[in-house]
Amino acid sequence: MSKRIVRFCYRKIIEAASSKQWDKYVFESSYKEYLMQSQFYDKEKKFSKFSELFNNIPSSEKLHFLVSTSVIGYLKQLNGSVPDITNNLGKQFLKFSNFQFEIIESDVKNKQDHRVAISFYSDPMLWHDTIDNFLLVSEANGKKTEDGTLTHLLQVESFLSIYSLKEEL
Amino acid sequence: MDQSRKHFLKNMFIGAASVPMILSACKKDTESTGTSSGSGSSSGNGTGGTSCTAAPTETEGPFPTHTPSSLMRTDIRDDRTGVLLTIKITIQNTNNSCAALAGAIVDIWHCDKDGYYSEYGGTAMQSVNYSGVTFLRGRQTTDANGQVTFTSIFPGWYSGRTTHIHVHVYNAAGTSLKVTQIAFPEGSSSAVVLVNTTASGYTKGMSGYTYNSNDGVFSDDTAGVEICAISGSVAAGYALTQTIKVPA
Repeated sequence: MSKRIVRFCYRKIIEAASSKQWDKYVFESSYKEYLMQSQFYDKEKKFSKFSELFNNIPSSEKLHFLVSTSVIGYLKQLNGSVPDITNNLGKQFLKFSNFQFEIIESDVKNKQDHRVAISFYSDPMLWHDTIDNFLLVSEANGKKTEDGTLTHLLQVESFLSIYSLKEEL
Repeated sequence: MDQSRKHFLKNMFIGAASVPMILSACKKDTESTGTSSGSGSSSGNGTGGTSCTAAPTETEGPFPTHTPSSLMRTDIRDDRTGVLLTIKITIQNTNNSCAALAGAIVDIWHCDKDGYYSEYGGTAMQSVNYSGVTFLRGRQTTDANGQVTFTSIFPGWYSGRTTHIHVHVYNAAGTSLKVTQIAFPEGSSSAVVLVNTTASGYTKGMSGYTYNSNDGVFSDDTAGVEICAISGSVAAGYALTQTIKVPA
């Protein structure tokens, strides 16, 4: 029987309405960094929105990378756990070591329009079966116990997807 | 042990120290703790707190703490090797008789010995524990003397540009005051020539080098105000000093 190894991607949107403390820190820090770094690309202050800036000054694409420096410390605080996503028991269980930061939109004149996304790429998981709306998964490198492999039931929801699939015999 | 690894271990420690606090503090995950976790007093009473709110399904792990940008650092080398370079920049305020400007934020960035900048194209995937992501980029706030100091390596060069360091100066609120670059002195015994022709790892030599007078950025600087002072040696490393005047 072949093994299906998947990596999940959870794309977390962070915006003005985000209420969790971690989200608020990321929102505040990334907006402050955006205000600072975007001035390099728009010295004449011609563009209010990131989308306008990007359309007119393509090199401002680097702002995704430059602004990500403001949130690295917060990502480290997660200690490798993908936030928000829980198994059917209500516990966080997905581990990550890779992420992707993007500025969805921002506006130097209106903080409310600042929106960023962080995509968390999970470490490899074995996808054993699908039960109703749930995926039965376990850590690809997880230890076996005397009860066999320890598994999680994961419901696929919005902003959670399977990033990659590898089948091994 | 590199800085990132230390930081990671430090966070692991904070995380571990936070666990009892999370179990007993009965705080909602939306509440701010404001201070670093692990040192706060425990206020739990075992009855789920006094406010009438539903218990969270699960605590979020260590409480988030306010963290500065990963650019805020003195040693900007990360994994880059090369001739040691100490960069001391003094910021003066042209709107105040060129007095030292304290509290200004100074960003610098430059290329490595091979001419490459740290930069992930667009939104490529990054690794949380890879310290090299922002190599040779740093940020400091000026002291009472208007000074910031960075530990780095002597920049290499790439086709079309002379050796240079980018500088962006902001006021304390983050408003841009000056975007500029630092140029290097030239001549047969200059640091630029000695590093590129004799230092280990600097493989380009000076063939095809763009000198300041032909550089698109510095060629108009006939007075040389953008050219830094530099002292030292390839073996011991160099010290760069430069004063940048900004209207604050």
